[in-house]
Amino acid sequence: MRERGFGRWVVAVPMCLLALATIYPMLFTLNVAMKSRREYVLNQFSLADHLTAANIADAWNTSGLGRYTFNSVVVTLGAVTLLLLLGSMAGFAFSQLTFWGRKWLFLVCLGALMIPFQVIMVPFFRVLGQTGLLDTHLGLILAYTGQFLPFTIFLMTSFYSRIPAEVIEAARVDGSTTLGVYRRIMLPLGRPALLSVGILNALFCWNDVLISLLVMQSEQNRTLMVGVTALRGQYSDNIPLFAGGVLVAALPVIAIYLFFQRQITDGVTAGSTKG
Amino acid sequence: MSTASTRTPKRRWVAAALVSALAGATCLATAACGAAAPQSQAGGGTAEQAQKLVVWDWHSGDASTKAYYDKAKSDFEAKHPGVQVDFVAQPYDQYYTLLGTAIQAGKGPDIAMFNGGAQMRERATSLLPLDDKTADLKDRLVGWDAFKDAGTTYAVPITLQGFPFYYNKAVYKKAGLDPETPPKTLAELQTDCAAIKKSGNVCFNLGNKEGIGIEFFLSGFAPGVFSPAQYDAWLAGKRDWKSPEVKQIFDLWKQTNDDGWYNKGVNSTAMFNDQFTMFSGGKGGNVIGLISDTAHWKSFDEFLGPDLGVYQAPILNPANVSKTFLPAEGGIGYGVMKWTKSPDLAVDLIKSLAGTDAEKQFFEKAGAIAADKTIDTSTVDVKAAGQIVSWLPDSKPLLHTALSAKTLDLMHRLSQQLISGDVTVDAALTQLAASDK
Repeated sequence: MRERGFGRWVVAVPMCLLALATIYPMLFTLNVAMKSRREYVLNQFSLADHLTAANIADAWNTSGLGRYTFNSVVVTLGAVTLLLLLGSMAGFAFSQLTFWGRKWLFLVCLGALMIPFQVIMVPFFRVLGQTGLLDTHLGLILAYTGQFLPFTIFLMTSFYSRIPAEVIEAARVDGSTTLGVYRRIMLPLGRPALLSVGILNALFCWNDVLISLLVMQSEQNRTLMVGVTALRGQYSDNIPLFAGGVLVAALPVIAIYLFFQRQITDGVTAGSTKG
Repeated sequence: MSTASTRTPKRRWVAAALVSALAGATCLATAACGAAAPQSQAGGGTAEQAQKLVVWDWHSGDASTKAYYDKAKSDFEAKHPGVQVDFVAQPYDQYYTLLGTAIQAGKGPDIAMFNGGAQMRERATSLLPLDDKTADLKDRLVGWDAFKDAGTTYAVPITLQGFPFYYNKAVYKKAGLDPETPPKTLAELQTDCAAIKKSGNVCFNLGNKEGIGIEFFLSGFAPGVFSPAQYDAWLAGKRDWKSPEVKQIFDLWKQTNDDGWYNKGVNSTAMFNDQFTMFSGGKGGNVIGLISDTAHWKSFDEFLGPDLGVYQAPILNPANVSKTFLPAEGGIGYGVMKWTKSPDLAVDLIKSLAGTDAEKQFFEKAGAIAADKTIDTSTVDVKAAGQIVSWLPDSKPLLHTALSAKTLDLMHRLSQQLISGDVTVDAALTQLAASDK
């Protein structure tokens, strides 16, 4: 129901202030990225004298951000593909199939959601080292898959639970196998959820610093966010250049958000209501 | 949750296969907890891998240190052709987390960069003792104490670290003060601060968001408070947190804030690099800065030029102190990790990193005061740099680096609470004394 009169302002004003507080850091970063170093040091909060993309170009050209972007794209696409495949299969199994230990396995998956990455850092590092996966794209893809799969399973199970059993029974009557039900019924029906979960996982993978820093040991294999974090150290006295790097890293995330905001919201709220 | 209405053995098998697939992937992280088999050493087992040295630091990606690393690398490669050297610049924010993981896993770089003091001592058990391998460096380099643990040397100093007081002569002039006469006593400092404040500037720039402002304050002002015997006792581990001198410093920390010496929002201002950016931008009369890899004479000189001045800690306690000094010690250094396959090669690489020609590049291009006392610093035409170098022979180590990481963490938190008024000086000192046992 739409608010009227005073009630509308009570809602609108705080919302506008919240939006401003959210947007301001981005505008500040954009403004800083447009400044020269001297301009920034002399007055951090003034508007840039001239609009120039020199810092963004410098950050891109001198700091290997192009290579880092490529790495981020590869591991994000790889991890999201694997996450969607495994997550949808598991979600289907947990929600629609009956097998021994189902409830316990699901609880284990939910429990994995509660384990902070910091707790498993050391064994994680050792296993990747022993299996030769350290400092490889595949290693990071598997690392992201392991880390974000419980979340994916939770959301996909929640979504698939809403599909009436009659749909699957009808497919069975028509002679479909379990794999056939998954491929022909669950995957097409789950497309909205897969899109939402895929976008959220893509944002998680793209924005991650800690796991990537741990897995990718050499500079050439770094992902974009690690590269930008390193920029902060390398150019600690050149904040405009750092801001340029931040913008490069943030642009794909902002683009994803602008294009897929409805799916992101659906993904975040999935499972909160039933029916 | 609904389930399939009919069940056959085939369906159960397919379901089990699906779940097994996900379980395998899910447990990549969790199963790792139980999969920690005995760790083989890093560096690789083949001859080819043994001829490669990996160095972790937080500087080799800086444009300003490129000449230093290029020189060190070419020097090493001339001595050891065919040995590959990889410098990996890690983000400083995450550096010790990453190194800690590598140390616990027993796998990582052959050589690692360390801050002197607690950061290195906490990790000394993972480093090779270097005393018998670095005798030829002992006389040429200074700052070794910061890289010793229980009398054993674990890293080679590359730069020095110290806390001089930098000041802006233009701000002093605007306040009607003599720009060539920085304060020598607490009374003079108070008078100057009052004048600077009256002229519309802040007396000191400070950022204590990370809580480390207190480190600079304690180590920066201590030479003007502690008697030489008290200073040495502190460094030797005999620390009396309830002494009038320690209380005087912590009282001053709170009092100076209450008196409005600093910029607004101290606890929400980052020291690196907002505090130093403010000073470079001419928005403060003084700052306690560094001589090592950042916030040093060169970075300030770039913006302040001839207005940049530097002075030693003022005398706050004339009963104890007749002459102050620059607190300084080893800043950053390189240590050899225990698991390296090529310890001799690693030591040789560190010797190249500590070479005089390379160190000269670090000083001139990156602005850090090098640990090599034989380099010619007269080539740099910045008065502040020359003054700092001339003070080094009389310097003594910093007080805060003698503390454990645990006590330093506590001190960071307390420094913020003191400023916000959530804890008294006496209560803070009681907590610090208990932590520092």
